[in-house]
Amino acid sequence: MDEITSVFVTESREQLAALESALLQLEHNPGDDDTLNAIFRSAHTIKGGAGVIECTYIVSFTHVVENVLDTLRNREITLDADLIALLLACGDHMGQLLGVLEAGASAPDEELSAEGEALLQRLQAGKGASTQAPNTNPTAGTPAAFDALIESSGGGAVETDCWHISLRFGPDVLRNGLDPLNFLRYLGEIGHIERLETVADAMPAAAEMDAERCYLGFEISFSSTADKAAIERVFDFVRDECTLHILPPHSRLNDYFTLINALPEDLMRLGEILVRVGALTQHELDEGLSAQLAPLAGAAATDAAAPTQAPQIGEILVEHKVVQPELVAAAVARQKQVSENKAAEARLIRIPADKLDRLIDLVGELVIAGASVNLLASKSGSEALTEATSLTGRLVESIRDAALQLRMVQIGDTFNRFHRVVRDTSRDMGKEIELVISGGETELDKSMVEKLGDPLMHLVRNAMDHGLELPAVREASGKSARGRLELNAFHDSGSIVIEVVEDGAGLNRERILAKAIERGLVQAGQALTDAEIYNLIFEPGFSTAAQVTNISGRGVGMDVVRRNIQGLRGSIDVSSEPGKGSRFAIRLPLTLAIIDGFLVGVGEAAYVIPLDSVVECIELSAEGSERDYVNLRGEVLPLLRLRQLFGMEGELPSRQNVVVVHYAGSKSGIVVDQLLGEFQTVIKPLGSIFRHIKGIGGSTILGSGEVALILDVQALVQRCASKEAQHVPGAARALPTTSRS
Amino acid sequence: MSQSLSISKHAAADAADHSPQQYLTFSLGGEVFALGILNVKEIIEFGQITEIPMMPAFIRGVINLRGAVVPVIDLSARFGGSGSTVSRRTCIVIVELGDGEERQDLGVIVDAVNEVLEIPRADIEPPPSFGARIRADFIQGMGKVDGHFVIILNVERVLSTEEITLLASMNGDTSAGEEQ
Repeated sequence: MDEITSVFVTESREQLAALESALLQLEHNPGDDDTLNAIFRSAHTIKGGAGVIECTYIVSFTHVVENVLDTLRNREITLDADLIALLLACGDHMGQLLGVLEAGASAPDEELSAEGEALLQRLQAGKGASTQAPNTNPTAGTPAAFDALIESSGGGAVETDCWHISLRFGPDVLRNGLDPLNFLRYLGEIGHIERLETVADAMPAAAEMDAERCYLGFEISFSSTADKAAIERVFDFVRDECTLHILPPHSRLNDYFTLINALPEDLMRLGEILVRVGALTQHELDEGLSAQLAPLAGAAATDAAAPTQAPQIGEILVEHKVVQPELVAAAVARQKQVSENKAAEARLIRIPADKLDRLIDLVGELVIAGASVNLLASKSGSEALTEATSLTGRLVESIRDAALQLRMVQIGDTFNRFHRVVRDTSRDMGKEIELVISGGETELDKSMVEKLGDPLMHLVRNAMDHGLELPAVREASGKSARGRLELNAFHDSGSIVIEVVEDGAGLNRERILAKAIERGLVQAGQALTDAEIYNLIFEPGFSTAAQVTNISGRGVGMDVVRRNIQGLRGSIDVSSEPGKGSRFAIRLPLTLAIIDGFLVGVGEAAYVIPLDSVVECIELSAEGSERDYVNLRGEVLPLLRLRQLFGMEGELPSRQNVVVVHYAGSKSGIVVDQLLGEFQTVIKPLGSIFRHIKGIGGSTILGSGEVALILDVQALVQRCASKEAQHVPGAARALPTTSRS
Repeated sequence: MSQSLSISKHAAADAADHSPQQYLTFSLGGEVFALGILNVKEIIEFGQITEIPMMPAFIRGVINLRGAVVPVIDLSARFGGSGSTVSRRTCIVIVELGDGEERQDLGVIVDAVNEVLEIPRADIEPPPSFGARIRADFIQGMGKVDGHFVIILNVERVLSTEEITLLASMNGDTSAGEEQ
């Protein structure tokens, strides 16, 4: 797939997503013109793009959709739920067509074509006879109305029977030994150049002009019997270095608009656009220009090209009936769009993800190298050097933060996808469900957002299928018929929490327990807390749905969800209250690349504890040397001895320290030899052969070049807890996975 | 026995077809081994190794290879002997494994690196079914060099990521329940 196609596919998918969300918005708020216009624009952009890459099946399908949208916009037909459902289906179909294009197939297979055909027929049927009605134009003057007008004439062909060729040479054409004139001469050999307009807008002032650069473009009206491919072949040699648009004779007006929109010039003068498109002659334009410039007398020559004058030219031309109003409107829209696009382009740049990853890697190296410089500087004892390095250090830190910020995306887009899911599913199941989203602006690592989609989908579907009840049942239990499903995201002590909350029936404690006993996951008579029972649903092969539906209930969901989340170094937890609903909370680290760490030493080795989880550090008291807990200001603090846990030999140092860590509400102490202080840590993966290791989350490289291991506090604590549970006979085993002995 | 013989014959046939002709020879515990040169990425001095707790003895730890963290395998321990003792000539050979997306670098500790040799295919004998003191499937063939045999290692087997991962996880399991 070439670059243009892949850009088209990416952008069209974004447009489709925008289209879908706008359609859903429209469902709640019918008659909102802005939304309708947004939908139309999305469809139009996709069609335009498909035209550029000559993907006919997308053009033809989208064209019909666009027409229907147009009639909607003109209020010739009204929007109802069925039509929205149909348009949503059309959006899906366009997505599938994009898939076909992406796969490199020349046309969709029969099944897909038939599907598209069926959709189109339904669309046509829906449009009914009303489309035959002449276009009324009640709100003339607004851009929207202009657009409608333009589209209304979309089917008509322009009068000229010439090809229209729009050509822009790249700056290096001359340098590469190619003469633009030769191409024009050669073009003359396969037909006749009726009119040729040189576009020299890109030409700078004489002083800045580089004689070896080519600044020219041409608009050519060309009569020939050759086909498009033959004309294109003329420009084969400069294909990579020029922008070429070819419109066949009797092209529809629409195609000219596509061309207007595709032309690179910014704020080009309106009259020029019209000449280039061949819609009016130079003579007609001149007439319009002189009419406009007459009152301005002497200033005319200098101001003719000023962009602010351009719209006036348009009006005058219309008055003189030399151009059709829709053409002017398109040009006005184009001018507006150019300035809007400029502003938008300044805000957004598309960058390939691997370039970004490379940058993050480099910043990571910079952080490591910076740490090593710091170390040397503090050893050297030179005050000036230390000061300079600490300044560098601060800058590197800001660069690191800024670089990481580049990877962060808002979770809102992921959340918004669920509007459609909730809408479709609730219809299928006959439930009324309201989706409430909060914290959509919470940012997290892009790679994490991508991997979060599937688990979230499972949770949402589960919540709708098993959690929320049918309206009748809800009313019987004194709740509103409409179920409420919440998606929340927020920051909490260095991690991000994403919640799926519903106000349904809640998890059935007894049924889960019965099922778990039946499956042999727990023993009958074990004393389990509610939380432990609820969390059993994450065990493999566990499903309580009495009936397997097509939404969920195959018993593969929840354990996959948990595994996916753990793969992101996160955890998932469920809480529930009978009759009130349940809450699934996913806890994720902020980023996968760099964390702030706390460096500790045990024996010869250095370990990093994520700073987010460190609460404080204390010296290990005599009391703590004897037993595995200490009194921390009245609290019992269980101790975790790294030396023992990692089987490290060697003599105990005279002084040991305790790093107090917290995770998900509980505190524990990690006993280490030395405290080495805070440290910026680039997480380096340990490689696949260590993927089963428990208690080590990754590794990092210290300033000295040594590798230090990063502790996974949660896994360490769990490991110790499960170890003790095994030592005590008959004790409740929290999770069956830890009960193997 | 006949089965292992047929396997090794098969391996030898494979070796004759595809194996590279250049080999890096190195010594380990008094024996000379050879590795296909195409697998060898670089050779570095033995440096600071960070031990990973709860790992089998043949996984010595990880090193920092210009910013990448690379696991280091003690070959001598992997072959069932005691671990290598570090001397002045001890080196780490960085070997690249796998193809396509799943590339993995591994460091291998050897007592000393000797030379890069060209061994003609004709001079490569099938491995003996026993007697080499290492697992037969670790051997790709026996190369004849100046009248001596060098053991040409089957890198994919000796440093099989799957096997090492399995061994690593089993070791971690002895003290804590493994989720499955």
